[in-house]
Amino acid sequence: MGRLFSLTYPTAAVLIAIAHGHRYGFDIMDATGLPDGTVYPILRRLERRGVLEGRWEAEATAKREQRPQRRYYALTEVGEASLAEVVERFPTLSRLFAGDPGEAGDPGLA
Amino acid sequence: MNAPSQPPGLGFIEAVSAIVPPRRRDAWRKEWEAEVTYAWRGILERGRPAGSVIRLRLRVLTCLIDALWERKETMKMTGLFNDLRFAVRSLARHPSFAFIAVLTLALGIGANTAVFTLVDGVMLSPLPYDEPEQLVSLEHQGRDGRDALPMSQGLYVVYRDRSSVLDAVALHALTAVNLMRNGEPERIAAQWVTPSFFGVLGVDALLGRTFTEDEGAPGAEPTVILSHGLWETGFARDPSVIGQTLDVNGTTRTIVGVMPTDFGFPDRQMRLWLPFAVDEAQAPLAAFGSEGIARLSEGTTPASLDAELQSLIGRLEEWYPDSGAPAFLREVNLRPVVRPLKAAVVGDLDRTLWVLLGTVGLVLLIACANVANLLLVRAESRQRELALRVAVGAGRSQVIRSFMSESVVLATVGAAAGLAIASVALRLAIAQVPMNLPRIDEIGLDLRVLSFTLGVTVVCAAFFGLFPLVRFGVDDLASRLRDGGARGSTGGRDTNKIRGGLVVAQMALALVLLIGSGLMLRSFQALRAVDPGFDSEGVLTARITIPTAEMDGWQETAGFFRALRDRLEGQAGVESVGMALSTPLAGNGVPYYSTELEDHPRAESELPVFARQNQVEAGFFEAMGIEPLEGRTIQRGDGAEEMRAVVVSQRFAELWWPDASPIGRRIRQGPQDEWWQVVGVVPDAHYLSLEEVPEEMIYWPATLGTADEPQPTRSMDVVVRTSGDPLDFLPVLRREAQSLNSRIPVSNPRALTDIVSAATSRTSFTMSLLGTASGIALLLGLVGIYGVISYIVSQRTREIGVRMALGASAGSVRNMVVRQGLLLAVGGVVLGLVASGALSSVVSSLLYGVSATDPLTYASVSVLLVAISVVACWIPAARAAGVDPSRALRSE
Repeated sequence: MGRLFSLTYPTAAVLIAIAHGHRYGFDIMDATGLPDGTVYPILRRLERRGVLEGRWEAEATAKREQRPQRRYYALTEVGEASLAEVVERFPTLSRLFAGDPGEAGDPGLA
Repeated sequence: MNAPSQPPGLGFIEAVSAIVPPRRRDAWRKEWEAEVTYAWRGILERGRPAGSVIRLRLRVLTCLIDALWERKETMKMTGLFNDLRFAVRSLARHPSFAFIAVLTLALGIGANTAVFTLVDGVMLSPLPYDEPEQLVSLEHQGRDGRDALPMSQGLYVVYRDRSSVLDAVALHALTAVNLMRNGEPERIAAQWVTPSFFGVLGVDALLGRTFTEDEGAPGAEPTVILSHGLWETGFARDPSVIGQTLDVNGTTRTIVGVMPTDFGFPDRQMRLWLPFAVDEAQAPLAAFGSEGIARLSEGTTPASLDAELQSLIGRLEEWYPDSGAPAFLREVNLRPVVRPLKAAVVGDLDRTLWVLLGTVGLVLLIACANVANLLLVRAESRQRELALRVAVGAGRSQVIRSFMSESVVLATVGAAAGLAIASVALRLAIAQVPMNLPRIDEIGLDLRVLSFTLGVTVVCAAFFGLFPLVRFGVDDLASRLRDGGARGSTGGRDTNKIRGGLVVAQMALALVLLIGSGLMLRSFQALRAVDPGFDSEGVLTARITIPTAEMDGWQETAGFFRALRDRLEGQAGVESVGMALSTPLAGNGVPYYSTELEDHPRAESELPVFARQNQVEAGFFEAMGIEPLEGRTIQRGDGAEEMRAVVVSQRFAELWWPDASPIGRRIRQGPQDEWWQVVGVVPDAHYLSLEEVPEEMIYWPATLGTADEPQPTRSMDVVVRTSGDPLDFLPVLRREAQSLNSRIPVSNPRALTDIVSAATSRTSFTMSLLGTASGIALLLGLVGIYGVISYIVSQRTREIGVRMALGASAGSVRNMVVRQGLLLAVGGVVLGLVASGALSSVVSSLLYGVSATDPLTYASVSVLLVAISVVACWIPAARAAGVDPSRALRSE
């Protein structure tokens, strides 16, 4: 099966960052160190291809902190499936995030 | 705890969200707002670490990229966006082509934007007053335009009381006053205005009030209104200044108001306003010492006002039966000159500016022709690609779009770079413009200018995008593909015709500009060659004014100037010291009065004798380096009872005593005055401008009047001739004046050489601008001709190879190529000469001492252009001559 996206370094970095639990747009920018302007277009593209899925955080959380609801991104099944290949292609990338669990600490890595 | 402050950039996100397709817009905005809000909380909680706010702001800006991405994704891939992206990519693959095209356009668009900004600011935009189209300036002229007579107090009263067309009328007169603050005297620009002045312009005070009618009557309490600038610098914007007093020219005046920022007429240089007192009973009708402005009542025109004023002037004798003034005004045939206020403010500058706009317009045309040429070459190389597109079903519109999109991208990038160039150029130009550009403080890049640039850009893109389109229409491409070859040689020849035509047009336009700058250069030379009538090297001038309140008595006043002269003469390095009411070319104006000549009594029907009249202290002629032609100059003691001596200029002497010596003749100012004896004749000096023929001039001593009532001149230019740099002497002059009276300032110090070169400034400014423009035009034209010839050579390599194989010599090949270039150049020159001849009337008013169809300029510029073109063609010609026949034949 052909990949749904071209696997460039920035795309890989975004995917791995999400897998490590950095799930919000700005957090991903901070975690990956990519130029700010590149992250959202990657998220949009990956979401459109069905690799990621965007969801709104729980309303209660936002209400409690008196701020608008944030939108977070999670890997779909397709995304999970392609992650292994990503890690293989960019082995150093996942090491960058090792020992750096995001706030959700999602154990997405095989 | 307080509610956390609003995060930055929410407005920007809101604005940018308009780009996002409606279906996604709300979610998009919500997501960005939530991220920014969250990040902002974090920053506040961490106590705003250094740089964090800036980083967040920058991050917010990138939402634009995201929004554009969203927009792009929802557009079809065949859409305009795609075309543009393709164009950008394909241009990026040819960076040198793209660079040259963008640079050329940027120069053209930048220059046009800059000059349009000037034109717009000075001439097109309305004056910054209420209903400015109702405002007019009131002036007069006498003797069919030979006398410029602005406005008199008497006529002001007549017009105000008797006109039915005028809503309001006001008098104003520019002046400079000595302002005492903190014990320091300062000379500042001020304006006498009637209380109606502010009402005419429709502007109210920012603080306090404007003058009341009573304050404009003689004997009223002295009052003053401050400009916003003076209020800011002198009073730190203290609102309690109203009611405080100010020492102006030694008079204590009560501050009654502060005007809003940016207020001023005719410009914003005024620092304060003083009430112009008009004594209605005795207001002189014929003393034209002030300027008039008025507001027309609704629905009337300057022409109807002109007609009404004319009839009012005709009835003056009815209303003033006892005065001699109406008869005098009838004698000089006084006529009103009513002009829209804007025309009066802009003056004769409009022609210079329009010529400038035309100049940069031509440069832009040449630039477009160049880009069109470059695009044609590119189109040629894209034939295969385009033919393929047509073959696989691309429609006419798609092909057109792919051509146009490159033009649009080039023009847009060119315009952006051009705007940057324009804003830099404007800042430089405004700092450099030597002539007194009216309204210069109102000028700036604004929305009107931006839309002008946008319009220019669209026209440019259409202009040069069209050429390849005409050349490679869709039908043509399809047939070409059918014929099996995209390199048909006949097609190349047609293209070369278009390109040749473009080069001819470029050459013609370049020639027009070169001739223009050649003519300006000759004017400048002619102006530089004008003998101003004095020797400006090593001379310092500065203005000193003594207010009546400071020194009332004539002895004191005259004594101050004489004491200063004596002190200065004793200083090291000083060769001579003089003083004059008016120094040549300094821009102070020279009074213009009637005079009587003893041996030319005026008959009843004759017009009075008018002449410019200057007043000088002994030493003036020596300091100015003016040697008498006959007799002597004004010396110490002249002007006293027993020595009533005057000096006249050469023109005055030749006009009235053409065949005899004027020495010993007698003249006087009016019937009540004493006779004064002519003791010398001096050469004519240029007082008003270098261009004008010097007028007749009479030099009176600085102190006039009868023995029991002498009238000293209160404001004079001190003129010091030194052996060193004149400006080095300024501290000495200040020190000596200060030590005589510390309340009298030395103002406007200048080297006389600077004054003279300022007099040539408009010509030199126009010349350098035209010179720059024509230099760019020449360069672009040469690039054009070089490009075309080398392209033709490269296309004909095979043919040249055949010719050489058959025995043609290198020299004959070279000549053949050069001849081709020469043909284009000569064609351009012929066209350009015709165009220049047709435009000669436009520039003639800017020229001095050279005809607008000066054959020498036309011929030499034409020869220059042809010669340089030959040089430009020489390089490709030499390449052609160096073709190796065997290689050329194999290369196909």
